[in-house]
Amino acid sequence: MQFKRFDQTKPFIVLAIVFAAWMFLPFAAKRLARHAFFEFQAPIDVSAATIRTFQDYWAMRTRNPNDLIEAGQEIARLNSFYENKIREAKTLEGEIARLEALLNLPVFNEYRHEAARVVRRDYNAWWQRITIRKGRNYGITVGSPVIFAGGVVGRVSEVGLYTSVVDLLSSPGVRLSAVIETDGKHRPVNFQGRSSSAFSNATGSLEFVPLDIFIASGEAPRVVTSGLGGVFPPGLSLGVIRKLEPDSDGLFQSAEVSLDSRLASLMEVTVLVPLAPKEPPKGGAR
Amino acid sequence: MQPPDKTDPRSGTLVEAHKTYDKRIIIFYPAIGVLLLIVAIGFAYQQLFKANEYAESEKIQSLRRILTPGPRGNIYDREGRLLVGNLARYAVTINLDELRAEFRRAYLITRRNYREADDKNIPSSRQLWIIARYAVMQRYLDRINEITGRDETVNATRFQRHFNQQLLIPYTLIDDLTSGEYARLAEQLPVNSPLRLTASSIRYYPHGSAAAHVLGYIRSSDDLDAEGFPGENLTTFKMRGTTGRDGLELRFNEHLQGKPGYTIYRVDPAGYRIEPPLEHQRAVQGQSIVTSLDIDLQKVAEAQLGDIDNDGYRGAVVALDVLTGEVLALASNPGYNPNDFFPRLSQETVDKMNTQRAWFNLAIAGGYQPGSTFKIIDAIAGFRHNVLKPDTEYYCDGILRVGNRNFVCNNHSMRGEMSFRDAIAKSCNIFFYRESLVLGAQPIADEARRFGLDQRTGIELPSEGKGNIPDPIQRRARGLPWTGGDTVTLAIGQSEITVTPLEMAGFAASVARDETRTTPTILHDPNRTRQRTEPIGLTPEQRHALVDAMRETMKTGSGRMLTNPRFKALNLGYLDIAGKTGTAQREVWVDGKRGIINLAWFIGFAPAENPSIAIAVVLEGNIPGEELGGGAKAAPIAGYVLKKYFEKHPDQIPAQPEM
Repeated sequence: MQFKRFDQTKPFIVLAIVFAAWMFLPFAAKRLARHAFFEFQAPIDVSAATIRTFQDYWAMRTRNPNDLIEAGQEIARLNSFYENKIREAKTLEGEIARLEALLNLPVFNEYRHEAARVVRRDYNAWWQRITIRKGRNYGITVGSPVIFAGGVVGRVSEVGLYTSVVDLLSSPGVRLSAVIETDGKHRPVNFQGRSSSAFSNATGSLEFVPLDIFIASGEAPRVVTSGLGGVFPPGLSLGVIRKLEPDSDGLFQSAEVSLDSRLASLMEVTVLVPLAPKEPPKGGAR
Repeated sequence: MQPPDKTDPRSGTLVEAHKTYDKRIIIFYPAIGVLLLIVAIGFAYQQLFKANEYAESEKIQSLRRILTPGPRGNIYDREGRLLVGNLARYAVTINLDELRAEFRRAYLITRRNYREADDKNIPSSRQLWIIARYAVMQRYLDRINEITGRDETVNATRFQRHFNQQLLIPYTLIDDLTSGEYARLAEQLPVNSPLRLTASSIRYYPHGSAAAHVLGYIRSSDDLDAEGFPGENLTTFKMRGTTGRDGLELRFNEHLQGKPGYTIYRVDPAGYRIEPPLEHQRAVQGQSIVTSLDIDLQKVAEAQLGDIDNDGYRGAVVALDVLTGEVLALASNPGYNPNDFFPRLSQETVDKMNTQRAWFNLAIAGGYQPGSTFKIIDAIAGFRHNVLKPDTEYYCDGILRVGNRNFVCNNHSMRGEMSFRDAIAKSCNIFFYRESLVLGAQPIADEARRFGLDQRTGIELPSEGKGNIPDPIQRRARGLPWTGGDTVTLAIGQSEITVTPLEMAGFAASVARDETRTTPTILHDPNRTRQRTEPIGLTPEQRHALVDAMRETMKTGSGRMLTNPRFKALNLGYLDIAGKTGTAQREVWVDGKRGIINLAWFIGFAPAENPSIAIAVVLEGNIPGEELGGGAKAAPIAGYVLKKYFEKHPDQIPAQPEM
């Protein structure tokens, strides 16, 4: 009987021993264990994502050929449109470069754009993070900004060999320097993700909003990155201001920012991998 | 030796024999019972009667209260433009209670390093703690330096004092971050770092030195009013607030002062706070003030007074709304820039301000001889005592002997019979010498007092001065004689008589309304009603003669520079100004030598009919003997202020007669 009682409690005892061992394990060993766990877990996520892609592929195969032909034609139209846009962008880039040289403007940090597919989403009341299918193998580093068509996605918080974890903009752990588009003085404000309750839209908050910022009827001011923080380039959309409240100290306002709802269903993102900063041009323009 | 008798319990053996019951022990029971009762009563007493006292002691020992000052209210001009506000100052602070583990680790590492180095002079434990804490703080500061590109170091003395005295209050590492630095730190510091980005307020004067004497300045203060807040008996830490030291900041300090907030924390035995706070109330901004100043006029007045380091003059300009007495501009030169007070006033600036006496508000506290502007008082006194009539004439030959002294008139070149109109317009001394000798000094002094020239106006600004009106009664009461010379000197606003520029602006406004008193106010009230005081008491003819003479002053007399078409910068003939210039002399001592400097005056109002603005200007000559006339120097300054005023109020420009 006594033996049986001991046998029943054995798992708890083992668990306690494991906890005790973990507590006394050296920091380096703990770190190694954590990294190993991440690296072993990553292929599972990647496999799951691959299977999902495969499923999507076979789902497409079942579509009517006429639909596919229509889709192909639509893509051809879009391709043509985007080719034009690329040409325009190149012309503008050349113009910007010429003006920068002419005015001897400081050169912004430049980035390499690394498109990556989302393999996992932890998007709930506890976590706001995604895992993407590129890691150190593509030169991604911790802290790199991540963007998508709608603006900022977040920042890379962990990097594995083949995958990286990105803290979404809605995470309270993400803070960045922003400006309000309607503020002609471009005064920087503090953006920080905000814990949202379950099933609600992603939000963020702004601190230190100047008192002369208002929400005109029907025109919610857009919040974009300031470019002053040294991590994110300027002008990337963060969201729109939904609510402004004066702080009781009378100095500033606080704002609630509504984020892009597409953050919850991201498929592809782009990581901005910082390049080594260029030397500013010496001497004046010729 | 006999063996012990084992049957006898008291056999004398040293080995205690166990016995279940001993009757003798019974005598201890009551004693133990009494002792237990005493203990129980003691406990009950402590629990029932002293519980509150101990609870209070425990609270005092374990709770700390932090008081945070509320931002001060804003100050606006009459058109709602910000004159004084609060500007955000970004700072990076560090919560010391989040660093306990790091302090401990740094302490252990520091101690180990000393021991491994086999250092004979190993510091004491207390010193090791100080070194360790400093190292941790510097490490965090280095991280900030790395991001911002600064080269800051922790002030060890200041930090140690803060640690010992204000452990609960975050320690400020840098308090003057630029917006770029603040943005970089916001983006590059981890959110969960003990480093916090905060914003505090500093007083901000968007117009720099404009109206500095009116607005005043503030200084840091520990005097936070925590009346009515809970936890009065708790150990309290006060974050530094501010208090007004001059001008409106001082006069309305309680009104502007924000309401402090408080936070009560529980602390552990080492004094570190335990989050979250038990009670918290946020600070509230103070109330705002709307002044009657028009910052456009104020800036024009100050610009015209000039830079004292660059051919500008010491002096003052005061412009009043005639009907309400609201101060439209109140300038005193030299001034100072209140923004220089933040973060702290440099010694160089203090020395310069002391040398120039820039702290002094000449507009409300400067005592000046009014010179010929006082002839308006002579005229009113003469009219009221029937000594003077609109058609009165006195002979002027440029010199008048009174007693054994000659009194001259160099203000004009006309010789012969001088009319009242010309006497005012040309500022003839002889006319008013003669008039005063007929009238006597006492009625003139009484008339000046009737206009309040010997009293403070009661403006809502600190340190207001008042004028001095000498008269024969006062003089004789002091056992001194009053001579004819004293009378004629008083008549031209010289010698002992002094007035402040604000009093003279009020006097001009009173004359404009045909009344005797104007109470100036620096606060704006859009619903303020017209002031009504005792009428001057002139007949319509006398009133017309007086105003007409003052108009003539501006057309052909000593103030004609304002209306002269050749002086294109002003050319204010269309405004119909009534005014009077004056040039007084004051004795000064420069490098131990006696000298005379000129005081240039102008007082006036416009339009002459239905006036809306009254103005007084005074300038001090910079060097003895320097030529400085009221018509040439003071009147144009008034002209520029009037020009600006009527540019903003074109509806008040009198209609021009049709040709």
